[in-house]
Amino acid sequence: MNLVKTSIAAFAVAGASLGSLLAPAPASAKDIVINMAAPDWLPTRFMQEEFDRSYKSKSGNNVKLVIDFIPWGSFYQRVAASLSSGEKKYQMIVTDSQWLGDFVEGGHYLKLNKYIDTDPELQAVIADMHPVLLSTSSSYPYKSANYYGFPQFPDNLVTAFRKDLFCNPTERANFKKQFNQTLPCYYNEWEDVDWQRYENIGKFFQRKKGDKLGDGVADDDFYGIAYQMGKPYDFSSMQANGFIWEAGGDIWDETSTKPALGVVNSDKAIAAFDHYLSLEKYMPPVAKTGQMDIFVVQDLYMQGKVGAIVDWVGVMGPVINPKLSKVADKSDFAEPPGTRQADGSISRWSNIGGQPFVLTTWNNDEVIKESLDIVKWWMSKDTQIKFVKAGGQSGLLSVMNDPAYATWAPYNRAYLDNYRWQKDVWHIPEFFPLLTEQQEQFDKAITGQVSGKEALDTVAAFQDKLLREAGRIK
Amino acid sequence: MEPLDLFGRLHTKPDRRERRKRGGFSPLTQHAIPMTTTIANPDASRDEAGPKPSRDVAGFLGWMLSPKRRGPLLIAPAIATLFIVNVFPLMWSFGLSFFEYKANRIAAPVFKGLDNYASVLTDPDIWERFQHTATIVVGSVALQLIVGFLLALLFANDFPLRRYLLMLVLAPMMLSLSAVGVFFKLFYDPTLGFISRLISLFTADTYVILSTPARATVAIVVADAWMWSPFVMLLVLAGLVSVPKYLYEAAEIDRAGWWRRFRTITFPYIRSLLLLALLFRTIETFKIFDVVYILTEGGPGSSTETVSVYVFRLAFQFFRTSLASALGYIMLFAVIVLTSLYLYAIQTRRAEPVNE
Repeated sequence: MNLVKTSIAAFAVAGASLGSLLAPAPASAKDIVINMAAPDWLPTRFMQEEFDRSYKSKSGNNVKLVIDFIPWGSFYQRVAASLSSGEKKYQMIVTDSQWLGDFVEGGHYLKLNKYIDTDPELQAVIADMHPVLLSTSSSYPYKSANYYGFPQFPDNLVTAFRKDLFCNPTERANFKKQFNQTLPCYYNEWEDVDWQRYENIGKFFQRKKGDKLGDGVADDDFYGIAYQMGKPYDFSSMQANGFIWEAGGDIWDETSTKPALGVVNSDKAIAAFDHYLSLEKYMPPVAKTGQMDIFVVQDLYMQGKVGAIVDWVGVMGPVINPKLSKVADKSDFAEPPGTRQADGSISRWSNIGGQPFVLTTWNNDEVIKESLDIVKWWMSKDTQIKFVKAGGQSGLLSVMNDPAYATWAPYNRAYLDNYRWQKDVWHIPEFFPLLTEQQEQFDKAITGQVSGKEALDTVAAFQDKLLREAGRIK
Repeated sequence: MEPLDLFGRLHTKPDRRERRKRGGFSPLTQHAIPMTTTIANPDASRDEAGPKPSRDVAGFLGWMLSPKRRGPLLIAPAIATLFIVNVFPLMWSFGLSFFEYKANRIAAPVFKGLDNYASVLTDPDIWERFQHTATIVVGSVALQLIVGFLLALLFANDFPLRRYLLMLVLAPMMLSLSAVGVFFKLFYDPTLGFISRLISLFTADTYVILSTPARATVAIVVADAWMWSPFVMLLVLAGLVSVPKYLYEAAEIDRAGWWRRFRTITFPYIRSLLLLALLFRTIETFKIFDVVYILTEGGPGSSTETVSVYVFRLAFQFFRTSLASALGYIMLFAVIVLTSLYLYAIQTRRAEPVNE
């Protein structure tokens, strides 16, 4: 009897499978193209490749995701220009978290609560998202329960270092002799590195062409450290903000209701910003031009010109790719340095990176449905694991908590540990003018035209004026 | 005997007066003749042999193709395109310059009269950008004129491989502005850049070209002059090759020195062309954007930010759309003044007597 039941069941399954294989596509199957604006880098390139390789629309429609890859340097301007012009080109947009306020208020980003409320799959995604990402990547106003996006790529700052140099016994002995400190080689040793020791690393590894370096000699001038000090976009603020927070200062009042003067240019903030500037002298000379952005930092490291860098985990994939990097097999990763507190602990507050992807308001119901299906596909555990194994990162707790996560890429452990220290800024529509002015003033300080205090005084005055004009500071 | 073509049509060219009377030739009217009919006289075929088009179509076509309307009809698409992509946005932004409006907000524009123009003209930041622009214009145009002039003197002579070298020298001005910006950014890179490395050979230490306002300005001037000196060379060369040789021969007989020959023979031929180059390059350099934006992004700080870059930042970074429009119109006014001078120079050249 069991055999009969089993046979019937087997036939039923086989019949159903065959039926689904032979069934023609629904007569109403439509060609739907989802155009998505995105920055041009590994995480978005992978998304396009994986979509083309594996995505099948549940509706039976022929859905195509076409990503418009935009260089990082002009990403905001290109998206902003498209949205402002009213061309309605994009159905989805990979957006920096700080843009949410600007483009929600502009009427461009679609609020997703009503779709989430009726879709258990989306509710499960929201419940599974890391709480920091839920507030920084998805909500507007900041930390509210109004949801607009899901993390396309979550990001934070990590350290990449040359293990062939930092673990070299001679170098370690010489560093110990010179500074009475350990030259960090292992992950746990890097956990005890503050900016003071990072500065010593900078001094220590400044070598001229022909000087001894590790077991050989430097084939070109070599520099100890580097982090972002660039004028474009947010390529200095994202590092300097961390210095200021760690020292107990702030770069704005999060409630944005109190005067910026005295907050932005407090003594603590000025001292921390001066510290950020002071490390420039141990960095590659391009830092003096104010053009050492995150990609220049990455490139100099991959060319073997720098000992240790702090940069986004999102740019670390190429660092360990031997086709792109001269130091692929010589690199290891750790948490970024921080500021030592009075009790001896280290504060590592850092500006969170990464981008959510959002839907636009002019999509019709059909496009919204297909776009949300793409969201569910991207945020599914399977896709997220594939993404992490290919060099990306996930913001889903169920994936991040996988014990194997840290082994999928050498920088993953640092990425996971950093979540204790992530903050975000300026989730308000005035984000870009605030950022642009800060970048310009920081650039003046980086290139030695003004002092750190003068730069922060100007930033504070600008922020105060702008937020008053916008009616935020009464 | 008048020639006949394969179809036996007469190839008689009416004289100009006759053509004017008939409204000129039109390919369209000729194609209206049925091609399958072998005829000796096209006019006769239209009246007698060929199938007649319906009266309405013929009437409409006839109305359309009448000599009065043919010209305007032909240029109508160009005028419409120009209006849509140029005149309309221009008028729209002119209107916006009198309102308070942000392109990234839904809020309707609010009329502000001349406030934006007053803000622009009293804003010290904007005057600072005008100063940066003026510095770059003066430096770059002067360098272009000197280098272009010297190159023209060189290429006015015949020497081996002249033709190939001339093509090579002309190459920079054929490149896109952004490509030149990227090239020079790489050349100036202190760690990997060719020019920085070259200078470092003499300075002993790493030479960081873009680290100070003065150096960054010089770097922009050099990049722009590298690109546009060949243009000046072309103009001057045109003047140099038009100088009749017998004038030099006569001067040689008179034992005139190099300077006197240059002053009395060569310079009069190239004077107006140099003026044209000066004005044309001043107008273009005044609007410089690409090279500056790519090379320095206006930095260090804002020390190389030109008016064009500032207009862009006001419009697309600060989203002060109205203010950016007002500044754009002030720039346009400056360019119109320069263009008028340019046109005046052209007319002056036309009016110049032939110097032979």
